[in-house]
Amino acid sequence: MEHCVQVQGILYKSFPIALVMEESFQAFLLFWLAGLAIIVGLMLGFFSKHGTTRRFGMVFMALGTLSILATPWTLTFSPSSAFGHFLGSILGPSVLLGVGLYNIAFSGHVPVGRLSEGDRRAGFAMVLIAMLWFEGMHWWVLTPTYPDEINRYWLIFWPTLLLVTASLSFVVYYIVKIVGDERNQEQRLLLTLFAFTSLLVMLALLRDGPNVETTQFAEEFWLAGADVFGLMVGATLAILLFAVVLAVYETQQPLPKQLDPPTNQQLVEAAKHIAKHVGEVSEDE
Amino acid sequence: MSERTGMNTLRNLLLASIVIPSTLLGLTYGLHPGIGDGTSIRFANSMLTSFTMISFLLLLTLFVYGDARKRPLAPFLGMLLCGVFGTALTLFFLSQGDLLMEDNGSVRAQALSNVIRFSTTVIACVVAAVIVFGMLFASLMHTPPARLEFEEE
Repeated sequence: MEHCVQVQGILYKSFPIALVMEESFQAFLLFWLAGLAIIVGLMLGFFSKHGTTRRFGMVFMALGTLSILATPWTLTFSPSSAFGHFLGSILGPSVLLGVGLYNIAFSGHVPVGRLSEGDRRAGFAMVLIAMLWFEGMHWWVLTPTYPDEINRYWLIFWPTLLLVTASLSFVVYYIVKIVGDERNQEQRLLLTLFAFTSLLVMLALLRDGPNVETTQFAEEFWLAGADVFGLMVGATLAILLFAVVLAVYETQQPLPKQLDPPTNQQLVEAAKHIAKHVGEVSEDE
Repeated sequence: MSERTGMNTLRNLLLASIVIPSTLLGLTYGLHPGIGDGTSIRFANSMLTSFTMISFLLLLTLFVYGDARKRPLAPFLGMLLCGVFGTALTLFFLSQGDLLMEDNGSVRAQALSNVIRFSTTVIACVVAAVIVFGMLFASLMHTPPARLEFEEE
């Protein structure tokens, strides 16, 4: 990574001591360690059995996220801060999208805790605003720019989002068609989503946006394909190896200790107990 | 469902998941034939980074597995080896001149750039999944519950 000659960064400004003078140390602490905190916090928050550990994990994750979001101010010298800027840029539409879909879903036929009609309308409005916001980032002046050029992570994110949404909606449409019974409305919705995202891809390939030209979008879309296929292959290999490691470990485990067969005395004792509780017939009958 | 029909369905599902991105990418290449430089490098970087990162993530899940299995050391070491192998392989290939280097000045910069790019791709995949499954779930929840109709005797 390139670094300026003059040492910068919030840690150096706050505590100008030898250790924090290193820009790489600041980047490690405020960006990479924060990223690790998000992953570890996520795992603890979702998988731990203890409530305290789960809460601790969530706090850890929130602190890590905040640290990365703050990098455009805390690590101005580092190219990694562009990722923090990108995260901050998509936070708004992503949260709107998530909350909006939640509101729409849970205002439906939910037996307990059903949301009101107003929440449903608010949900639709949120999803619409989120979609327009994302579109405005490509087709209008809302494109994330950092520091004075288009944020390169946005150029990776947008084509990948379109490619994966189009592919996933078609695959899920096919699954619903096979598995679902009288799910025509869902099939139509998924096909519409597929057609909509494919149309967006075609438009971006044919018409220049105010900040992103067709050639640049095509280049990034093509590389997004390489990224997604590479991710799928790498993930499949890792999961296969994980399964092999566990299978090998489980097959090497000794069998559980076998008990000796019961003796005659134990059998007589057991028969006595069984007859007393189950099979005994009273004389009155 | 018979075994043969099940295999056919699985094959069609795999085809569907490959055909759509391939078609969209094919259209892109058809409209802009000049693109495509560095595709194999990007694919290799993405594959190595994904393998390494997901190996380490699966290593973390072994802590949960360990809760139920008296904390065994062998699978933990196995996955640690996988992660270390992925890291070593990535660093080895990155240090082979221009083989896997993109627009970065050093091996460390390229490796860190790969990790951030992987994170961006994962975020895009998660947002796409939220859109697709969120819409499907919302639609399912708005479908009136099915009524069982019994024939009168």
